[in-house]
Parts: sequence; structure tokens; C-alpha cells
Amino acid sequence: MKLSTKGRYSLQTLVYLATCTENCSIRKISEATGISSGYLEQLMIPLRRAGLVEADRGVLGGYRLSRSSITCHDVLAASEGDFHPAPCKECQKNGMCKTHQIWSLLQRAVVDFSKEVTIEELAAQLVASETGGGI
Amino acid sequence: MKISTRGRYGLRLLVDIAEHASDGPIALSTVAKRQKLSEKYLQQVALLLTRGGFLNSVKGSGGGYLLKDSPEQIKIYDVLDLLEGSIAFEEERDGENAIERILRLHFYRPLDEQVERLFADLTLAEVTQAAWFTYMI
Repeated sequence: MKLSTKGRYSLQTLVYLATCTENCSIRKISEATGISSGYLEQLMIPLRRAGLVEADRGVLGGYRLSRSSITCHDVLAASEGDFHPAPCKECQKNGMCKTHQIWSLLQRAVVDFSKEVTIEELAAQLVASETGGGI
Repeated sequence: MKISTRGRYGLRLLVDIAEHASDGPIALSTVAKRQKLSEKYLQQVALLLTRGGFLNSVKGSGGGYLLKDSPEQIKIYDVLDLLEGSIAFEEERDGENAIERILRLHFYRPLDEQVERLFADLTLAEVTQAAWFTYMI
């Protein structure tokens, strides 16, 4: 079981943006994360639409977080869409499906936990690890 | 996040076999009909579950599959872990950067621990019984 590349990359992008004090160009994000510029442009579309990042044009342009207290769940919901572990949505027999409850349990675990972790606290960990010279 | 077809089919196969355990060995053609799943695909999943130590295969006429242990002893977490290759979100790759490392240690790893805790005691027996209860309502 894996998150999609889109989901993982979007988390990385937001954690990096949270460490920046000013607007960040796609190029700078690409250098820090190793994600290609073209792919970053694509990742930004749903993130902008969800109101998680905003961008300025021009010389001092670039991306920044739109607000504080963004959780990992906010990011994954924007980038992964509906976030269902199993395609139960079109299933006609949710009420009596023997395995449905397992998928609900799994989904709840992931959703609940990802709501508890904020991008800011991950960014703080990143800054701490870098100033500590650990990486 | 997606559970593979193999994960979904595999669990339905186990649940079906657990529910009809009193019928003796169960042919995959019977499960395929009951669950409306492809028999060919069930064969692949059954092979994996047999190798993984969850099913026994009985050859010959009247043959089929049986649970290797009682449903009370089969942990759903172990089944998913086998069917999905690994149920963990954490993956360490060569040359991971600082951001990936932070996400791995402070998001994916504790997330895995959370999933493991939630599934810790869930057995195949509980799944079949609880589903039956829902069905009765």
C-alpha cells in the first residue's frame, strides 16, 4: 500500500515551502526537493485550487503557503482526491459487504492521523535537523 | 492511497471460505460464482495465500481450499501485509533527501504504527461475525 507519487511529492513541496520566509520559485523548490519543474507546476494546480498555496508573478514572484495550520490531510485530500483506500464508492452493497469495514477502518486510521500532523511541525523538524548538522 | 485488486479479492476469498468452513474444502469456482469474481484471478490469489500460510489446498475431486488456522487465529493485518506486499507507508530509498527523511520519520512511520495499533487484534473471525451482525440489521 502506497500513497501516490503525487501525494508524496505534494507533501514534500509544502514542507519545503513552510521553511521559506519569502516567495519560492519553482526552480528553487525543484532544487530542494529533486522534483522536476514540470511536475511541480502540475502539483501546484490542485494545491492552489484547494487554497493551500498562492503565487505572485514577477521578479519577486513565486509560491508560498496561503495559511497556517495546514495538515497532511489537507494536502493529501487536495492532491489524491477523495482518498478512498478501496473503490467502495461505486459498490452497490456497502451495507452487507464483509470486507467493507476493513477498508473503513484503514481509511479512518489514515485520515485521522494525517489530520493530526501539520506541515508546520514537519518543517520545524526539518529546520532543526539541518541546523543540528544531522543531514 | 489504493488497496490493490489482489488485496480486495484475497480478503473476500478468505472471508468466503471462513463463512463456509463447515462445507469442507471449497472450490474456487464456487467462490467465484458466490462473490462474482473471476476464477482465474482467484487462482492466483489463492496460490499466494497458500504460500503465505493462510490456506491449505486439498487436491482431487471434492477438493478445494480450507483455512489453515481457525479464523480466530488469522490476523487481518498479516493477510493485508502479504497481499499488498507490505501495508507500510514508510519506504526507505537510496539517496533520500532531508525532506523525505523528515516525512518518513515524522509522518509515514508513526502513521504505520497507528494503522498497526488499530488492526492489532482484528481477526478474520471478528470480520465475518461483525459483517453478519450488520447484515442482520
